[in-house]
Amino acid sequence: MDGPQPDKGGDIFAGTDTTRVPFRVYEDQDIYKAELERIFYGPTWNYVGLECEVPKEGDFRRNFIGEREILMIRKKDGGISVVENRCAHRGAQLCQALEGNAGETLMCPYHQWSFTLDGDLTSMPFRRGFKGKGGFPKDFDMSKHGLTRLRVETLNGVVFATFDRTTPPITEDFGDHMVKYFTRVFNGRKLRVVGYQRQIIDSNWKLQMENLKDPYHAGILHLFLINFGLFRLDQKSAYYFDEGKGHTVLMTERGTESDEGDYGGVKVAAPDFTLTDHELVQPRKEFGDDVTLAIQTLFPSVIVQAQSNTLATRHIVPKGPGSHELIWTFFGFEDDDSEMRTLRLRQANLMGSAGYVTLDDAEALEFSQLGLAAAPDGAAAVLEIDGKDAQSGDCLVTEALIRGFYMRYRDIMGFEKAQP
Amino acid sequence: MDQIDTPLDADTHLIRHRVEQLQLDYVHAIDDGAIDRWPGFFTERCLYAIIARDNLERGQELGVMRFESRAMLVDRATATQHAAVFAPRTLCHVLSGTSIEAVDENGIRARTNVAIYQTSADGDTLLLMAATYRDLVVEADGALLFKEKRVIYDTLRLPDSVVNPL
Repeated sequence: MDGPQPDKGGDIFAGTDTTRVPFRVYEDQDIYKAELERIFYGPTWNYVGLECEVPKEGDFRRNFIGEREILMIRKKDGGISVVENRCAHRGAQLCQALEGNAGETLMCPYHQWSFTLDGDLTSMPFRRGFKGKGGFPKDFDMSKHGLTRLRVETLNGVVFATFDRTTPPITEDFGDHMVKYFTRVFNGRKLRVVGYQRQIIDSNWKLQMENLKDPYHAGILHLFLINFGLFRLDQKSAYYFDEGKGHTVLMTERGTESDEGDYGGVKVAAPDFTLTDHELVQPRKEFGDDVTLAIQTLFPSVIVQAQSNTLATRHIVPKGPGSHELIWTFFGFEDDDSEMRTLRLRQANLMGSAGYVTLDDAEALEFSQLGLAAAPDGAAAVLEIDGKDAQSGDCLVTEALIRGFYMRYRDIMGFEKAQP
Repeated sequence: MDQIDTPLDADTHLIRHRVEQLQLDYVHAIDDGAIDRWPGFFTERCLYAIIARDNLERGQELGVMRFESRAMLVDRATATQHAAVFAPRTLCHVLSGTSIEAVDENGIRARTNVAIYQTSADGDTLLLMAATYRDLVVEADGALLFKEKRVIYDTLRLPDSVVNPL
């Protein structure tokens, strides 16, 4: 295959089965660059934002796909366009504000080249020069100097884009199962942004994705969840893959754990610790089933979290091999009543940069990066729990979801494919 | 010579001095790692929130932390001590002077800028955030307490997790 070959060592996955992930994939600069090209700028659907973030014509919001900056824009016809935030002239960043309204045109502040909300070049100052001198050549073709325009698809208010012409339609890429669970949360009700959180986490971006595909850790690391029954490995649960194994959804039902006192050998620091204010962990049913935690990971860059009533997209922005940004967009629905609005704000304490649950995650990811960065060549992560395969199942003591991620990863990166 | 219309109000000076002392006691408790003392700086019904300025400017109250009673603060303190996994760190709050924005029947509205530095076990220091305390301070049994403390931070892209209260 034509996988990245950073040195004479060649394909670092050669000869390894699904249970090994060479640590090099988390720290190698050449592999990282190949990931940007083949994954983020390749045939994948990347999260861009929510349609409700740009309600009016000309509204824009700035974001990232991989390391490339993009703008999500509401067009005149009500549709959404996504263009690269880079002027076609000299490459300057077009919009500096995080969000705003561009009016009818996007104009570069440097030389005032102007573009339609679709990215077509419409005008530039002194096109004909000054007093018959200077100016653009007569054969300068404006139609060839628009902004980089991405293909856009929306699914019930959520906007995805791809740089690649060959990416299959999003419902095909996700597959029926993933669409089904995606539209469980994004069920067509009008969305409302509750607020954002952004944080730099000094670990490779893949570790963030893997963390949400690792139910094993959730029932061990997160003592807060274990203590309050918000997540236990013995709860009624299920997880599913798409065909390519890169997308997954994992669900659990609170209150189905077998025995309050059985922690499966996990060392719980303070098993008697209780909350004096229980409101934080009292969810309200809202999706017509008994699922209390649903985590969907969509390859390569977004996680949809529905823990109790705290709903959020977690968007991964890679920042070099050893760092990434995590952007949380907490959302609710326009028709949320005031009690639900309060619940969403209150339960946000579980998540985000200071979250009762997720601060453990950010810390553990940094422990991972610190540990593996100095590992010798050939050293690899071990993923042997629950076999070698990646099939849907109902036991959370498993590493199947991470194995699935690397099946898709090896495939799209051009590394040797792994057969379980 | 300019005429002084209003004699300097000794009470205002006293109030500022007392609020600044409260702020110092508060940040020193946190910087000393005495997290169990943290809830004691607040009234029983209170608001403690750490919110990005970016959210507030959009009218969004979503915070990194948001607690509405001293009981919830006690929960946070206990959970941080017994149910959280994180690398050891110390904080250093650097405060500006405090401006007293209003004194009325609700209490004292005070505003203080704060830079919060965080140092790891290896001794590396980073600026965790540049922020402003927007406080409502009340007096109870002769002592000043926070009825509201909002930590409004400019540092939208936080460089690390927020483990401790700020």
